[in-house]
Amino acid sequence: MKRPNSLAGLALTALMTLASTGAELAADPIRIGYSIARTGIFAAAAPSQENPYLLWQDQVNASGGLELPGGEKRPVEFVSYDDQSNPANTVRIYERLITQDKVDLLAAPWGTPMHLALAPVLQRYKFPMVGNTAASVQLRKVAPGYIWFTTSAIPDSMGTEMAAMLKANGMTSVAVLANELPYAQEFRSFLLPALKEAGIEVLVDQSYPPDAKDMTSMLVEVKGKAPDAVLALTYPADAFLFTGQARELGIAAPFVLSLIGPTIDAYRKAFGPGANGIVSSAHWSGQADAWPRGKAFFDAYVAKFGEEPDALDSAVTWMSMEILQQAVAKAGLDREKLREAISTGTFETINGEVTFEGVQNTRTPTGFVQIQDGKIELVWPPAIATAEFAPKQGW
Amino acid sequence: MSALWPLAGIALALLGVAAPFGGNAYATGIAFQVAMWIALAQSWSMLSATTGYISLGHAVFYGIGGYVAVLMVDAAPFPAVMLVAALAPAVFAAVVGLPVLRVRGPYFVILTYGLAELVRHVVMRIESALGSFGRMIFSAPSPDALLWWMVGLAVAATLGAWAVRHSRFGAGLAAIREDEIAAETLGVPTARLKLLALIASATIPGAVGALAMMRTGYFEPGQAFDPVVSFTIVTMALVGGTDSVRGPILGAIGFALLSEALWSNFPQLYMIVLGAALIGFVLFVPQGLSGVLDRKGGRA
Repeated sequence: MKRPNSLAGLALTALMTLASTGAELAADPIRIGYSIARTGIFAAAAPSQENPYLLWQDQVNASGGLELPGGEKRPVEFVSYDDQSNPANTVRIYERLITQDKVDLLAAPWGTPMHLALAPVLQRYKFPMVGNTAASVQLRKVAPGYIWFTTSAIPDSMGTEMAAMLKANGMTSVAVLANELPYAQEFRSFLLPALKEAGIEVLVDQSYPPDAKDMTSMLVEVKGKAPDAVLALTYPADAFLFTGQARELGIAAPFVLSLIGPTIDAYRKAFGPGANGIVSSAHWSGQADAWPRGKAFFDAYVAKFGEEPDALDSAVTWMSMEILQQAVAKAGLDREKLREAISTGTFETINGEVTFEGVQNTRTPTGFVQIQDGKIELVWPPAIATAEFAPKQGW
Repeated sequence: MSALWPLAGIALALLGVAAPFGGNAYATGIAFQVAMWIALAQSWSMLSATTGYISLGHAVFYGIGGYVAVLMVDAAPFPAVMLVAALAPAVFAAVVGLPVLRVRGPYFVILTYGLAELVRHVVMRIESALGSFGRMIFSAPSPDALLWWMVGLAVAATLGAWAVRHSRFGAGLAAIREDEIAAETLGVPTARLKLLALIASATIPGAVGALAMMRTGYFEPGQAFDPVVSFTIVTMALVGGTDSVRGPILGAIGFALLSEALWSNFPQLYMIVLGAALIGFVLFVPQGLSGVLDRKGGRA
């Protein structure tokens, strides 16, 4: 009668043994854990985050390893699992990484929901993690945090900057199409009041589900209202859908924003010249001369993967690893010291210097990029721009 | 004897999982998953195994419970949160039950799936209209406390499923499964019985959803109403067998441990391996783990 129970126990014991043997064999390298959306709705974005991890590992190991205080260097090794784009899995994976795999350091998963779900876990285990591909004003509620946002694309400042950019370029009316996922909705909630304040009229304001397969009806409405600017608050998967259908319908607005997605190399490959003129969220460009580390990263990335790094996700991912690397060199692997070092340090990154206030990177300006002649150019704010905004000329 | 062993089974299995690693978060996590799937699969079996009305939409009850709990948790004592999380989907089931249960067979399957998707999108709209961008949960109980709540639900669901099967109510449901029209002709109040079964089947998943959201510490409608939850429940019933109360237990334990073992040992391949394993199961063990045990025990 007890057979099934002993079977279950046996299976588990076998599993545990396997896992722990693995850990002992790999005692020497510094092990860094992360989960990533290899499957599910965020899978389109995963390579732009995982590639920088792999490139970073290559470079660190080629230089003898990750430097600890006192100059000792140890090679790095990643432990990663697929979270299937589900935050519940992300939580379990990081608990496993921390308590079972006993990794030395953590790298971030992809996406705002995953980061938000992780914050309490990191808090519980007092394990610092430099976040990258996420932003939310909500995280300010957690203090003092074990998580930091590398990006300056925080929805509140994004809303203000977008309105300022529209006004500076003479746009007087907009259509807003927003994915129902949290980040897009959060941006929308700050964007709408900022538009109002700037005196810009909102002609269309619609939201759509994250797994939308068709946007035609929304786009037909947009076309009918003919706004100066179409602001599509997309995630990577629906950025492709939006662009494809907007092109088919011949949306003629001179200003077209697709929030997340267009900075992925595959986007420009998919739409060719049709992608020119699209504005997107990013605060870094491989074209910028201001940040010498950026050009080196850009070239190394192209050499290894045969495509350009995503100006948003790849850039913030790389920045998060630069920050981690510099913090470890200063504080070692002790988690409290590391947390202290990240919270108080100033870091050299491909996007210039970074310091954190609370959870937020307050040094990097919030910006927007535009695809011009197949290149990602920073067009906003003027202080860091690599090119001027150019109205979109057809598809 | 046959009544006792499922309970003993759950208790032993969970102890077996958690005890040797007492206080280990990872083991607690696995035990939580196993108990969660037992509770869900048993609840599902109260409707679908007994009446043959296969629900592909149980995520809706799980999601409603989770949503209600997330809205309440910062303001109310936890037992009250759990109570409301269980009652809310029961009320929902009572409201939608009569029209939904009028359709049968594949139409019922599709309808339950569609209903769950409908509610998922409605909640997404509500959340974005409320200006909520995913909710972080700050006042969740500890993972250990959540585990014991979940074990309680697994035991309650198993007891409930057992009681349903061994009652006049269950006999009525079985009559519906075998021949609904004949049963009705013989005076079985089919509409009422089906509705009661649906309500019974919806209650515990609501509480389970609440615990699952607390465990994740984050709520977002797309994840709370994830159709994969519905699919997994049906898969577990398939693996375990639906002929007895122990089927869902075996299915939940077997499937949860299998996917855990594959997930952690073959992070790149596990979905493929899991899929292949399931196909193998359907082809070679169609009667489920429970059926295999029956044959081995000579009790077929």
